[in-house]
Amino acid sequence: MPQPLTSRRALLAAGGTAGLLQARTRAFAQAALEPRVVVVTSFSRDVTTPFVQAFERANPGTKVEIQNRNTAAAVAFIRETRSSPPDLMWASAPDAFEVLKQGNLLAQPRIDTAGIPERIGGQPTNDPDGRYFGFAVSGYGIMYNTRYLRANRLPEPKEWADLTRPVYQGHVGISAPSRSGTTHLTIETILQGEGWEKGWAQLLEMAGNFAQVSDRSFGVPDAVNSGQYGIGIVIDFFGLSAKASGFPVEFVYPTVTTLVPANIGMVEGARNPEAARAFIQFLLSPAGQQVLLDPKVMRLPVRQETYANAPAGFPNPFTNPSLGARVRFNNDVSEVRYELVNSLFDRVITFRLRELTDAWKAVRAAETALGRRDNAEGRRLLNEARAKLTTVPVTEAQAADPAIAGAFRATRPDRPAAGRQAQFEEEWDRHAVAAYAEAKRLAEQAQRAR
Amino acid sequence: MSATASRPWGARLRIEASASQVAAAAIVAAFLLAFLVVPVGRVFLTAFAAAEGGFTLVHFADFFRTSLFIESFWNSLYVAGMSVIFASLLAVPLAVILARYRFPGSALIAVLGVLPLVMPPFVGAVAMQLIFGRNGTVNLLLMDWFDVRLDLMEGLNGVIFVQSLHYFPFILMNLSASLSNIDVSMEEAGQNLGARGATLLRTIVLPLALPGYLAGASLVFVKVFDDLATPLLLNVTNMLAPQAYLRVTSVGLGDPMGYVISVILVVVSVAAMAASALLLRGRDYATSQRGGGGLSQRRMTPAGRIMAWCFVVPALLLVLAPHAGILLLSLATIWSFSPLPDGFTLAHYATVLRETPQFLTNTLLFCGIAAFIDVVLGVVIAWLVHRTRLPGRALLDLVAMSALAVPGLVLGIGILRTYFDVHLPGGDSLATSWIMLTIVLAVRRLPYALRAATAALRQVHRSLEEAAENLGAGSATTLARIVVPLMAGGLAAAFVTSFATAAVELSATLVLVTRDVDAPLSYGIYIYMQSAAGRGPGAALGVIAVVVVAICTWAAHAFAERERRRRSRTVEPRGAA
Amino acid sequence: MSAQGVDVEGVSFGYGATRVLEDVSLSIRKGEFFAFLGPSGSGKTTLLRLIAGFGTPDRGRILIGGRDMTRTPPWSRNVGLVFQNYALWPHMTVAQNVAFGLERRRVPRAERDRRVRAALDMVGLAHLIDRRPAQLSGGQQQRVAIARTLAIEPEVLLLDEPLSNLDAALRAGVRQELVELQRRLGLTTILVTHDQEEANAAADRMAVLDGGRVLQMGTPTELYDRPANRFVASFLGTANLIDGTVEGGVFRAGGITLALREPATPGRATLALRPQAIRLHRDASGGALAARVLRTEFLGGHVRYTLELQEGQQLTTEEVHLRGRDPLAPGGGVQLEIDPQQVSIL
Repeated sequence: MPQPLTSRRALLAAGGTAGLLQARTRAFAQAALEPRVVVVTSFSRDVTTPFVQAFERANPGTKVEIQNRNTAAAVAFIRETRSSPPDLMWASAPDAFEVLKQGNLLAQPRIDTAGIPERIGGQPTNDPDGRYFGFAVSGYGIMYNTRYLRANRLPEPKEWADLTRPVYQGHVGISAPSRSGTTHLTIETILQGEGWEKGWAQLLEMAGNFAQVSDRSFGVPDAVNSGQYGIGIVIDFFGLSAKASGFPVEFVYPTVTTLVPANIGMVEGARNPEAARAFIQFLLSPAGQQVLLDPKVMRLPVRQETYANAPAGFPNPFTNPSLGARVRFNNDVSEVRYELVNSLFDRVITFRLRELTDAWKAVRAAETALGRRDNAEGRRLLNEARAKLTTVPVTEAQAADPAIAGAFRATRPDRPAAGRQAQFEEEWDRHAVAAYAEAKRLAEQAQRAR
Repeated sequence: MSATASRPWGARLRIEASASQVAAAAIVAAFLLAFLVVPVGRVFLTAFAAAEGGFTLVHFADFFRTSLFIESFWNSLYVAGMSVIFASLLAVPLAVILARYRFPGSALIAVLGVLPLVMPPFVGAVAMQLIFGRNGTVNLLLMDWFDVRLDLMEGLNGVIFVQSLHYFPFILMNLSASLSNIDVSMEEAGQNLGARGATLLRTIVLPLALPGYLAGASLVFVKVFDDLATPLLLNVTNMLAPQAYLRVTSVGLGDPMGYVISVILVVVSVAAMAASALLLRGRDYATSQRGGGGLSQRRMTPAGRIMAWCFVVPALLLVLAPHAGILLLSLATIWSFSPLPDGFTLAHYATVLRETPQFLTNTLLFCGIAAFIDVVLGVVIAWLVHRTRLPGRALLDLVAMSALAVPGLVLGIGILRTYFDVHLPGGDSLATSWIMLTIVLAVRRLPYALRAATAALRQVHRSLEEAAENLGAGSATTLARIVVPLMAGGLAAAFVTSFATAAVELSATLVLVTRDVDAPLSYGIYIYMQSAAGRGPGAALGVIAVVVVAICTWAAHAFAERERRRRSRTVEPRGAA
Repeated sequence: MSAQGVDVEGVSFGYGATRVLEDVSLSIRKGEFFAFLGPSGSGKTTLLRLIAGFGTPDRGRILIGGRDMTRTPPWSRNVGLVFQNYALWPHMTVAQNVAFGLERRRVPRAERDRRVRAALDMVGLAHLIDRRPAQLSGGQQQRVAIARTLAIEPEVLLLDEPLSNLDAALRAGVRQELVELQRRLGLTTILVTHDQEEANAAADRMAVLDGGRVLQMGTPTELYDRPANRFVASFLGTANLIDGTVEGGVFRAGGITLALREPATPGRATLALRPQAIRLHRDASGGALAARVLRTEFLGGHVRYTLELQEGQQLTTEEVHLRGRDPLAPGGGVQLEIDPQQVSIL
């Protein structure tokens, strides 16, 4: 019996043993579309409904059946339903498609991609083997509530570094990268764009301003929309669609961001291959691309001509080449440390947010005090405190070390039990608790120093 | 019974059980085995499975070495305990007013006391954020007027706040049922011996109502302890259930820690229930021979009435806050950083009614069937346990009640693993069909129905059944003709509880539902809520859910009331010697 | 040997370690009105319930009409039980309650209606046929309970403390009705009661139970006149129990010396002395024993005295009250005489 593995890592590990599925022989491959097509997707109703309606209008007689699952669950679902799989996998995260591809779970339909550039913002749009296709691109950035900023007299943030400023204390929200594939990409982008140590330092200082680390991707736009807190770190279409729906919010791309394609792929052994192929083709067609500009969808199209119909101020990677260009996102680096980064983020930020924000509050209070009454001893203590608060207990080399990062992959029978994940996590947790307490103490000392 | 105990099991079976009893037990056991024991067992094996195969305790050692898990464990206990306390503060006075006094607002209490249950907890949490959150209506107004902010929704406090408001009806319903089943003569005897007012309440009434209270309180404890959606929506992660969920969904189902936490959740839940059972032992107050004489309801003094209103009105405002929040959200155009929405519209209702009317009909169908299954199973199990000497009957009860201690997520995954490869005609998997969803809802809510059935059965004096047997009725006839009609009020309550809670169940639903067309309301709400473009349609669906379930609840309540009146107590029963 | 009514043969029963019945045997004749008499906790109700089939004896057999029914479930016994609390189903009307047993026996509707009416006529409640139990008085409820049982024409009628829930004023009347009904139907009937007057008045024969054992069985007069032990003697009516010795047909204790009319084994013995065996003599000459009046209770028809003999022995006696004869005042002296015909040696 196959183990129920949903982790993408685990999937990758187990995928090799999955074996090739026998392709069904289809006597009438070119026949008319099947009456239904089953789509597994991580996209919300907001995204799927306009596409489904448009597709069904264009292809009467074919019903699109949507099955909502988060990305990891969708991958597991496809793996476990090899006997009667869904037809299409439709999701953001390219890495999920990579997992499926390596597990021989994606078919290779004939799709016409003419008119779609091979790269947007430096990233390849489609799988070179033609097993999955980018139909939109997404970048990551900062969403903020204008009413909230005005009421709290806060400046509008532009760059990640802005979010480290003390003025935003308690006003910023993010979702946990372990819970949200898009946030993971944001974190990884910052780590690659700024470098491991500087990246973590920035993240930890930003975290000092976090009001919340949400466990759902949607927790962040919801909270910014409703003004529970003012600023959220989100994928672009959250901000853009909220704005298009009338919420008093804005969205900006910081310089360090990356454009990543959102994809669709046909599942190997799909029972409705013709309808599935037609759906992919529709997504990539000008008519399908136009749907991306629906106020509730608001994703960046992969066809340049579609941008002509976009509302004013809509980001356009074709005319703004700097968008997403600064970071060359390295998939291999990301791949190796995927679970480790998530777990580390949870240990030092998500689960210890109160301790972390308390320590930062103390540091900032000390900074204010020193601003009025500067002295060397205070500076020294403060620097020490900052160092405690901006260091993670893992080096970049360790994060890439299979002996450590490997512990975060699913257990395999052939791997010795040494270096178990739980031990690392416990170690990091202790480190975080101790470092934050120490930093707080140092900062309080610095505040009193004269 | 020394002579009996020494008999071999087979002989005991022959002597102590009739064929119909054995058949009924076998059917119930098969159901529980197939849809609870086996799926959960499959999931649980993982907690003790070593990577190399075989048995290991190393994962448990890891759990107890990890300070985050230990902290989560204490947090969960703390939150569950405090929730019971706050829920009691709300429920006990309401129950006393409801059961003891002729109070003009009684109907209001009865209906509104059920309202929190008809709202999916995660919807409640969303609405509570909007009303009581750091920049919710209340705080925005408070900051405007007094420049103060109440951190009601922050951290563990937020969870306790939301859970207390959501689950206090369990205590209210159990306690008021138990209060109104106390024979009037019990109270009169107390009065006769000089007790009155608060003394009477403290010395006679409340101790007699203790079984009901404990049943409700232990339920609240376990529900809160196991609850996932509320802490998650409030972004509280350092509790056990969220930790298990996070492990299973982010590290992967292959990660044993999720299962270890599941086992611990189950152990604590079982312990809580066992403790309540121990406390209840020897307190079986079937005081009246006629199925409850009813506590005498008395007139309130004007001062008492004012006091009651002063408690009831704020309590109900609090209870209604999530409903008001969700109603506002469903009608709002844009609601952002302001006490009230910018404008109002019915467009969200139009959207959901046009796009997805099936959510509503599915809920009525699935949950109706599930609740019916629950009532039938509940009655049969309660009857087997309390009215027969069938060997193994206690085990049956234990297994059925253990569903309470199984998080929906775990059951859902177990069902998926066990039944995915069973295909229905047409090629769809049994595990993801609506039939399985209905069965899972029934399994999940069976404990409620079973408790209600047990409570109702306890109030039916044995002699009423013996009289039927004496007149020639066999077990089945006695159950159908005497026991069930006498339990009608209690069973209506069981049906309502099962139905309403099934209608708002999400965790197993999320795992099992694959298609919109087969999805119930709670799933629809969840799906609609996943939107950065406004949660209006989700809220609209939420309001529809509340209204529908409220109507059903009211109907069942009306039915129960009619039953109660039919057995009018104009002539008081004579106390048995 | 079966009496063809109800035979209980060596029945023992208990709950866990608690013994409720210990080796109980008795035979009830067909058509007989039998009573189980005993204090609460004596096991009498348990025995009745075993006969009805509620519970299985740990040992022993129960025969009804000569057939072994020990393992027969209650619903197959055709034994009618009237519950102490009547156990009328509150959700059914009187008619539905009474018809229930007939429905179980698949009696055709017309016949069933007739028998329901007949049973209610028998208890004089035909006019209340459509009421619910809650709308009836206690006495009416009890009669409905009896009608419900009689409607199935049971082989044996079991009455569990049927009068205990009734007003004292009602009891004698209902008891007479019960006895008349039983005589008319010739129904084997077992009455469980802790009230000796009830048992004496109604039963042809009775068994006195205590501590799960049958202490004595017989007609009411046999048991009253010749109690087998101290418990029976004191439980049935009032008895003075005097410990002493028997020697050569003479009983001695303190100041009492009594020549016995019936043979008795020599040695230590207890004398049971009914109040009416003591005759009081107000004039100093007539009596044999001198006593002092300790307490006087006027009970209407008679006066009860507690007397003390010179040796300290206390005796209770009664005297019929007649107009013009004032009760003796406490403290005064009196002479008494014991009628040797009326005593028994235990």
